[in-house]
Amino acid sequence: MTAPVSRRALPSRRGWQTAGSVSGRTRWTGWLLVLPTLVAILFLGIYPLLFSLTISFRRWDLQVPEQSFVGLANYGQALMDDRLWAALGNTLLIMVVGVGLEFVLGLGLALVLIDELRGKRFIIPLLMLPVLMVPVVVALTWRLLWDQQYGPINAILSAITGQNVAISWLAQKNSAMVAIIVTEVWQWTPFMFLVLLAGLSGVSAELYDAASLDGASWWHSLRDITLPAIAPVIAVAVLFRAFDAFKIFDVIFLFTQGGPGTSTESISWYIYQLGLRFFRMGYAAAVSYLVVIFLTIVVAIYATLWLREERA
Amino acid sequence: MDQLRTSIPISNDKLRQYAESRLHRALAARLHRRQLVKSSLATAAAGAMMHFTGFTPSAVAAARRALAQNGDSAEAAVAAANALDPKPAELFVVWESALQAQDPLLFSGPLWEELTGIRITVLELPFTDMYSGQVAEHIAGTGGHDVLSVVPAWQADFVAQGIVEPLDPFIEQYMNPADLDDYHPLYRDLMNFGGQIYALFDDGDTIILYYRKDLIEDPANQEAFQAQYGRDLAPPATWLEYDEVQAFFTEQGAPELYGGASQRVAGGLHGWFMEEYRNKGGIFFDAETMDATVNGEAGQATLDRMVASNLTMPPGVETWGFIEVLTGWMSGQLAMIGGTWPPIGRWSEGTTVEQLAWVPETQVAGNVGYSVMPEGHSAHNGGFMLGVAAQSQNKEAAYLFAQWANSPSISLQRCMLPYALRDPFRLSHYASEEYRAAWATAGDYLDTLEAAADGALLDLIMPGAVEYHNAVDQAVTSAMAGTGVQEALDGLAESWNEITDRIGRDQQREAYAEYTLLAGAYP
Repeated sequence: MTAPVSRRALPSRRGWQTAGSVSGRTRWTGWLLVLPTLVAILFLGIYPLLFSLTISFRRWDLQVPEQSFVGLANYGQALMDDRLWAALGNTLLIMVVGVGLEFVLGLGLALVLIDELRGKRFIIPLLMLPVLMVPVVVALTWRLLWDQQYGPINAILSAITGQNVAISWLAQKNSAMVAIIVTEVWQWTPFMFLVLLAGLSGVSAELYDAASLDGASWWHSLRDITLPAIAPVIAVAVLFRAFDAFKIFDVIFLFTQGGPGTSTESISWYIYQLGLRFFRMGYAAAVSYLVVIFLTIVVAIYATLWLREERA
Repeated sequence: MDQLRTSIPISNDKLRQYAESRLHRALAARLHRRQLVKSSLATAAAGAMMHFTGFTPSAVAAARRALAQNGDSAEAAVAAANALDPKPAELFVVWESALQAQDPLLFSGPLWEELTGIRITVLELPFTDMYSGQVAEHIAGTGGHDVLSVVPAWQADFVAQGIVEPLDPFIEQYMNPADLDDYHPLYRDLMNFGGQIYALFDDGDTIILYYRKDLIEDPANQEAFQAQYGRDLAPPATWLEYDEVQAFFTEQGAPELYGGASQRVAGGLHGWFMEEYRNKGGIFFDAETMDATVNGEAGQATLDRMVASNLTMPPGVETWGFIEVLTGWMSGQLAMIGGTWPPIGRWSEGTTVEQLAWVPETQVAGNVGYSVMPEGHSAHNGGFMLGVAAQSQNKEAAYLFAQWANSPSISLQRCMLPYALRDPFRLSHYASEEYRAAWATAGDYLDTLEAAADGALLDLIMPGAVEYHNAVDQAVTSAMAGTGVQEALDGLAESWNEITDRIGRDQQREAYAEYTLLAGAYP
């Protein structure tokens, strides 16, 4: 039997430092051990990042042999690019509505399944299945479901409404956006549910008992106990999902290819078109960096607000 | 610089100009010395690329012996490949994924390996990624491709970027020259880009119209149509007639039977617009200013009709591609196909192979009629050619595989494979007794394909063609989703002008002028 390791038994920070500086040979061995990882990170992470930054200042375009330095011209052009702004709008719409719905549904499911329910151990794994599926497979499957002629969604709606519903979901902008968001919500709500369920399981039952004694309603308990208690978990879950939703590509690729026209293009799809279909690498890199800057600002605002809330 | 200039063989003006322009631009941009060295190396590489001289004498001799015996380019290619020293163990061949790839995976690849010992590794790419995939591989400089799949519309980009190897020296060494005359003139001309052959034409993608003879010739339908439209029910010769026949059958039979369907999903849709647009007298650019002219009267008439025609096609047709049209047709749901690629004509008579087990069993066998597209000029939409990658380490073997696969005897077998998608492109294919006996109306089918090729209208073939085509797809799908036709066309013209400006008006003016000289540029 192994004795539990007490905190005291662990070497102190200073202790590690001392051990590390015992001899030059040990230090070199350490460096040697991390070297492969370091090289891999530099080549696969840092180098492409810096390379893409440098080409964002160049006119790197398949159709133009010279790759001249153009300064901030690519950035300036991007800021004036209507298609980019439209793609940003679509992406934000999918992100806000999609993640919002995922949060509401995920929280609802978590609140139901936090209690002891019959069959809970079967329901939770079943609910997790969509998250485990490859997004491309999900998109392909749902594309069939949304099919105007053979897809069951129109058939179900026809049965419910008693009228012939024949919506060409993916052929019109608005209906295509609905289809994209619903598919996203279907796949990612279980993720939100699982994270929130973990958060809820950490809330002390005593708080609810006390609230109950004080005559608090279910709504009051939710508002004043549950949500504040799991606020950090919510913040992380929403942030993770928002970032993920912002990168949406698979569903757009398989549902609409950004169409009809360019009406359902997302940021990732647009950058893919620019860079990897038409090889306007310099411009695509500039757009990518603008997106990074935008997201950094959003996260900074989000983190500031959240920290302020925490302090309060 | 003069030294470099003289090192470039002057027999190929186009490449020399390209190479020199790179050098001039590098100097003008005052690039760093290392960049200049890099640019010079690229120039030298371009110069070296112009004439492949590393032929294997034993291979050339073997090919000449074979050609002297029977003039068969396929046998010459095999003999030469077996005499290569060193002989590569493997060739990496880019091919469209799914059904197209069944040919090199199941037929030509294994057969070539059996004959030569050179394994064919098929690198499958979906059509939408084939252009970018091959360009990206070239930019990365991996040398990972040996044989390329080149669509004629991509040829300008592939040549300008130095992605494909000029094939004239190889043809001179290895091919029976008579085989060049066996290509249909449309395809023979398409192979010739700027005075050079960069790829061998391998897939005749001429769009034709299919119709149900049993429905068109039915006396009751004839009578009803005569009463409604005051003329005989016949295969449509104009788009107006097409719309009338389509509307007639849709009114009579929907939802079990619709009058017709055409591909409407983006990714090839440009072919339908550009064909009809030119049949209506439209031209793409002002030849002087290079301003796009697609938003004029012809454009409006074309797009108006296309949008209106959707109303009598099956609901949801806006998302129909090749597969949906195929499925609707084979299951007997359509009276006509408003143009599609040739394989559907073969499959209509029955599919027996497991690769097509997912296709509905044909309900139309023996009842299919064929016609050139309304207004008399079909589109040549897509098409594949086999090229040799300029970065390949096995150019000779790669060319020999392409020549063998493309030779009259082997290519006929490939065009007749029940599961693959290669379509007739040689005069000997259209005339083949074997092919014409494949089913009762196979002769009509081949005659129609040949007639369509005789007057076919080509995709745009100039730098940026992929972007121009993509912009057409976007405009058409946008109009079909409710954007005003004129608004969509104005957007298209704006997009085309942006592309032209980005690439350079002067360069594009020159390229467009060359394009207009092609037989299939305009009716």
